[in-house]
Amino acid sequence: MTSALAALYPGDPLFAKGADLWVWVILLVKLVVVFAILMVSVLFVIMYERKVVARLGNRWGPNRAGPNGWLQSLADGLKLFFKEALVPAQADKVVYRLAPVVAMVPVFVTFAIVPVGGTLTIGGYTTRLQLADPPWGILVMLMASSISVYGVLLAGWASGSKYPLIGSVRASAQMVSYEAALGLSVATVVLLTGSLHTSAIVAAQHGGFLYHWNILRGFGAPFAIFSIAITAEMTRPPFDLVEAEEELAGGFNMEYSSVAFALFYLAEYAALVTNSAIIATLFLGGPDGPRIAGHSVGPVWFTLKVLILLYVFVWARATLPRLRYDQLMDLGWKRLIPGALALLLVVAGARVSWRYGLAALAGSMIALLLLARAIEVGRAGSGKEQGGMPSELESP
Amino acid sequence: MDQYLPLLLIFALGLVFAVGSFAASRMLGPRPRLNPAKLGPFESGIAPRREPPARFPVRFYLVAMIFIIFDIEIVFLYPLAVMFNQLGLFGLVEMASFALVVFVAFAYLVSEGALDWGPGKRAGSRSGAPVTRSVSATVRRVSRPGAPTPQASPWAARGGEAAAAAGGPAASPASAAPKARVVG
Repeated sequence: MTSALAALYPGDPLFAKGADLWVWVILLVKLVVVFAILMVSVLFVIMYERKVVARLGNRWGPNRAGPNGWLQSLADGLKLFFKEALVPAQADKVVYRLAPVVAMVPVFVTFAIVPVGGTLTIGGYTTRLQLADPPWGILVMLMASSISVYGVLLAGWASGSKYPLIGSVRASAQMVSYEAALGLSVATVVLLTGSLHTSAIVAAQHGGFLYHWNILRGFGAPFAIFSIAITAEMTRPPFDLVEAEEELAGGFNMEYSSVAFALFYLAEYAALVTNSAIIATLFLGGPDGPRIAGHSVGPVWFTLKVLILLYVFVWARATLPRLRYDQLMDLGWKRLIPGALALLLVVAGARVSWRYGLAALAGSMIALLLLARAIEVGRAGSGKEQGGMPSELESP
Repeated sequence: MDQYLPLLLIFALGLVFAVGSFAASRMLGPRPRLNPAKLGPFESGIAPRREPPARFPVRFYLVAMIFIIFDIEIVFLYPLAVMFNQLGLFGLVEMASFALVVFVAFAYLVSEGALDWGPGKRAGSRSGAPVTRSVSATVRRVSRPGAPTPQASPWAARGGEAAAAAGGPAASPASAAPKARVVG
């Protein structure tokens, strides 16, 4: 099945007949449209989040600018262009300006690989509603999330101030930790599909609403691990220790003002949209859904799924209290990573035959028990090492 | 090639947008009127007395190093995952043995406490202070204003302590006041 899929989806059919002028025009139009969609959806999502959080907190939220306040984020964004662009005296001038760019650009690159669904034929040229479908497909997402660590880290370091530095060091450790879990859960999906192409991942889930979706495979565990890991990767609540207001007064972007701050904000919410789209692609079948009135309406279903996922992210922000740093690291390293690794092996075993699946399950169980023992030993040991007195001296 | 080009283009478009917004901000925004307070690092309105720290807890570095192990593992798992249907049992054995090697290293790290964060067991056991907290253990009592001793206020009591340290006999009841039992 899988090699056939890979052959069926080698790339965009746009370039099949060679590249003449119209192909270039179509490509550029697609490029601009994708960019515009992401920009507009960022404006929308900021308001969406503020509205939903407000209603969950029994408030109205912003309701002055535009109809029901829906132009508030546009107004905020434009306002930032008219603000003083300040570079702190202690900042590293070049890196300080570079950091927001490093944070923003990879997110846009990631959105390029998301298949929105279906094909479009304009004047004999057929193209997919997906900007790029490179052979390493989903690895673009992992690459971009790795690079966006640098944006945060450089911003904190270049600010020359205490709180951004602490925030960025925390952020980099956190993002790096959860990236391992992220990579492993994506590997599970890749194993189920047998291809890195996002279009092939979507195509493998096609046919039958919900029935073929990856969310049901592996008992929903890859989906859960991926969702938690991507939340931490974006440093969204409840994993937003990076900008813990009580401790860090705002986090890594605290010394930023004007348009540089706007770029960080843009990057954050563009990442939210993009990663919701990636979750929909990997686990919820992307544009897969029932046909409405005989038409295949992939983009509609896709948008609906993204909106639902965005709601869940906002809901988590409104509901869950922020984790402590040690809880965060424990969750990442001692639960998600071993869990994702075990899951990958079980799924791999089950792909060979159910006997090997059971064997992998048993082996993973034994390994996880051993790991639990190792964690206990580690806790006891580190307590002593960190300056606690030996127990016999404690009791009088 | 044809699928890498759009990625490159959107990368360039992102760069152009970022640079363009900086240029727009320079044109639209006011000239920065600088003063030392504005240029200094943020510290809730007071002048910071220390440089930002150059050194960090070693655990952050440790996490980065351990991450490399896992990242390499993931990098090696991806080709196996892509080709898994062709590899079959061989792929499973490869994956499992590789995972086992990494797991052993990981379990060792965890059992060494390399990934333990936070104060953990440290709290309360260092100074020999009682671990169980109670009101009498934490609240330092001073005599209340209506108490019978003449030097009743905390300031007077402290003065009394100083006098007691100097050897003044008259201050001894007041110096005992902080350690006194709860009155009433």
